[in-house]
Amino acid sequence: MTSPFALSHCLLLSGILFAIGLVGVTTSRNVLKILLSLELLLNAANLSFVSFSRYHNDYAGQLVVFFVMLVAAAEVAIGLAIVVLMYRSAKTIQADDLRDLRW
Amino acid sequence: MYPFFFYFFATVLILAALTVVLARNPIYSVLSLVVVIFSLASIFILLEAFFVGVILLLVYAGAVLVLFLFVVMLLNLNKEEVARVKQSRLRPLGFLVGTAFLAELFWVIKASSLAETTSPGSIRGTIETIGRILFTDYLLPFELTSFLLLAAVIGIVSLTKGILKS
Repeated sequence: MTSPFALSHCLLLSGILFAIGLVGVTTSRNVLKILLSLELLLNAANLSFVSFSRYHNDYAGQLVVFFVMLVAAAEVAIGLAIVVLMYRSAKTIQADDLRDLRW
Repeated sequence: MYPFFFYFFATVLILAALTVVLARNPIYSVLSLVVVIFSLASIFILLEAFFVGVILLLVYAGAVLVLFLFVVMLLNLNKEEVARVKQSRLRPLGFLVGTAFLAELFWVIKASSLAETTSPGSIRGTIETIGRILFTDYLLPFELTSFLLLAAVIGIVSLTKGILKS
């Protein structure tokens, strides 16, 4: 069974997802929302890897997605631990409130 | 039948992704990320990447997002803290960057020869095929990821337990 939608549609969807994530990372002030938008960015990259793998007959793309997911899991775990510590010591999760190093 | 499902899940994906970014309450963001992950996994399965789609569901919806939800509830942000979110002055700039990126990408896809690639390959990313490649050609990277995860675990425990401080 062949899937008739074109590769360019998958890539466009991945690009839209990446753009939404990019807007989220640059505009949100809540650290948790920045981490969530980072997940959007990683998954947009995953989608384009899988669609290239599908249309170029190469399994390497899907293996890269597997490794990206492992790295993303480690990143999320560390990032959330840092957020919890940040809330414990600074009592805030707004990125703008962390201005101790500001001159 | 296939294109209908693809465009349906693509629409759901984009709407849920917009909700992740635009929702004020972090809990709504996390819950719409669950919707994003489910529709993305459906698109992976439509692309016949079965293993990756299932792993996406298990790892993200099963573990990562539960962790997110757990942390959001652990922090127990009061109403003022959530409502206090005033918009960044750089917000229009962020939207401008996003739109510019999207326009550029659209132009690149339009201009390249990718647009003509409509016939998909014949590969099926089942557990058997992916596992076979993972344990032969990609054995060393696979083993190295275990070190990465070990380092992450040690880092988290030492961060949260304050082992380094004492």
